[in-house]
Amino acid sequence: MTGTTLRRRLVRRLAMPGITAIGVKELRGRMRGKRAFVSVTVYVVIVAGFAWMIGRILEESARNQFAFDPTYQSASIGRGIFIALMLLQTLMISVLAPSSTAGTISSEREKQTLDLLAVTPISSVAIVVGKLLSALTWVFVLILASIPVTALVFVYGGVAPDDVVRGYVMLFVTAIAFGAIGTFFSALVRRSGAATGLTFVAVLIATVGLSFIWIFLRVTAGPLAQTRPPEALLYLNPFVAQADVACGTEGNTGGWCAIIDDITGSTSGSFQPVQGGVMLDTGGPAPGQGGGIAVPGVDVAVADVLSAQRDRYWPRSALTLLLLAVAFTAGAVQLVTPTRRWRPRLPGMSRRPGSRRPAA
Amino acid sequence: MTAIVRTDGLVKRYNGTLAVAGVDLDVEEGEIFGLVGPNGAGKTTTLRILATLLDPTAGDAEIAGWSVRRNPNDVRRVLGFMPDVFGVYDDMRVWEYLDFFARCYGLPGATRKRIIGDLLELVDLADKRTSYVQALSRGMQQRLCLAHALVNDPKVLLLDEPASGLDPRARVELRELLRELRVLGKTILISSHILPELEELCTSVAIIDRGRVLASGRIADIEQRLRIGSVLRARVLAGGETLEAARDWFAAQPDVAASAILPDGTIELGFRGDEGAAAALLRAAVAADLAIASFSRAASDLEELFLQVTGQDEPAATPASVPT
Repeated sequence: MTGTTLRRRLVRRLAMPGITAIGVKELRGRMRGKRAFVSVTVYVVIVAGFAWMIGRILEESARNQFAFDPTYQSASIGRGIFIALMLLQTLMISVLAPSSTAGTISSEREKQTLDLLAVTPISSVAIVVGKLLSALTWVFVLILASIPVTALVFVYGGVAPDDVVRGYVMLFVTAIAFGAIGTFFSALVRRSGAATGLTFVAVLIATVGLSFIWIFLRVTAGPLAQTRPPEALLYLNPFVAQADVACGTEGNTGGWCAIIDDITGSTSGSFQPVQGGVMLDTGGPAPGQGGGIAVPGVDVAVADVLSAQRDRYWPRSALTLLLLAVAFTAGAVQLVTPTRRWRPRLPGMSRRPGSRRPAA
Repeated sequence: MTAIVRTDGLVKRYNGTLAVAGVDLDVEEGEIFGLVGPNGAGKTTTLRILATLLDPTAGDAEIAGWSVRRNPNDVRRVLGFMPDVFGVYDDMRVWEYLDFFARCYGLPGATRKRIIGDLLELVDLADKRTSYVQALSRGMQQRLCLAHALVNDPKVLLLDEPASGLDPRARVELRELLRELRVLGKTILISSHILPELEELCTSVAIIDRGRVLASGRIADIEQRLRIGSVLRARVLAGGETLEAARDWFAAQPDVAASAILPDGTIELGFRGDEGAAAALLRAAVAADLAIASFSRAASDLEELFLQVTGQDEPAATPASVPT
């Protein structure tokens, strides 16, 4: 057997044990003692408290509205709670995922333990992926722990189980993408504090920054402009993706769908609300072409959830975020490899010239 | 004997600074090989290249036949490395620490358990098995780090300044441990700028300064090759003129380059000969009726060697031991 073949087999064999070794070590540290229990409890209490407050607000506002169909009102409250929970959790995950990964590799450098790891046969891929996965495991536990709270919206109605699945897929994707950004900066700079700072700047640029550019281009082009700014500018913003998930729950007439309509340049359906009237969920397909009926004298439209356009936007956003995660993870792997071909030069980093290496 | 560690024209350049300027080393199997040199001589860089943590700018190194450039993963499997400064994970117990590194080498569960037990016995930390790593003393952490470098049963151990920051007792323990490892057949490369420590331990040394190997081989061989003198001290039971006569007698002997009376009455000799010549000198002194109470080498040979080879003062050296 040639040395190259043997080495490939060895690398293959050690990729999984390597990830397992890192995972076991990281999880031992993270899940020890009361820390994990307390953080999950706090997270769930925040989510549950927020859900309860949103529920109360929506109930009160529904009480003050002219209402003739309690079923519709209940569904509307359910939708409101679901959307609010998804947006709150997107916000929390956007903060928690990068902050849990931004110290993973830089802390090894700070504690001077990375060398000990680098001289073992485990690959840089195993080090980075193992650390990313174990940091994300903690975030995943938080996300999973919130499912029972989110499931309470089924009591109100208005949200289908597959909408909940969509929302949670987007939460997981958000955690993976922003976690990978944190891992990358953790590998790039030596200090955990600087890594955390850079990570949040990058996350802010990805979400708020690019979205602001999109809004700027959209507004300055004029309301009647035929060309729209590329929707790809918003793909890195998980809040917009959650707006698309929200659109899927509200039929084709609501405010969330209007946002997605504006971004994609498509219309949700043939139906337009009558003078901005209240929507009614009849719980089944409305007669006609996914449209609604207007009750004379009362500005009421019937939205048809079953004809709602789903998945117009968020899968593309999710895919882009996953590609971003792969790119940042690959970058981190390159940075962790002790003897690598090139090194980026940033202020404050030790500069080492690229070394020549003969082909293996 | 075959060379298990071999470097061939190793060069490492950082931003135009030459840290290692063509190092050639041959370390035979089973040796304790000392890398001696002042701070910044290139010892750590050389060891880090051998440990596959740095790519050499030019040249190559082989460990157990594997090239550090072309087969770094194979090198890592036969290597144990203890860096000069290292940290410990602060949220791990002692056994978990070793378990983690054993997992990194892909060892199965039963083997891991056995090896961890054996290593903790070897480094005398068996009773600290469930202690947290950060609660250990510096010396214990050093021993634990040494144990971690042994989990894969390496053929070659690279130890960078292993005794730095240790109290005398911990140093003695470390030395005993390294001797034990040598008995177990490990080849050990050890760097230090504390010379007496290496002298007691090493079978061979390489003296490195400014990235170059100035001399390498067995200490006695280098001494012979360079014809470097050593310092002998003779305590003669005499005073006044008799003592001066004794000094003059010594000064007249072959191989004695200089002879002086120290304030405490000891005669210090700059001596060019080997151990046989020293024995002959003592025999002659006794035959000449000098009342010799003690007769010994004065200072560390390695310090002498080092000073002669590098041709500069080293703070570790005792000024009185420099031969005239």
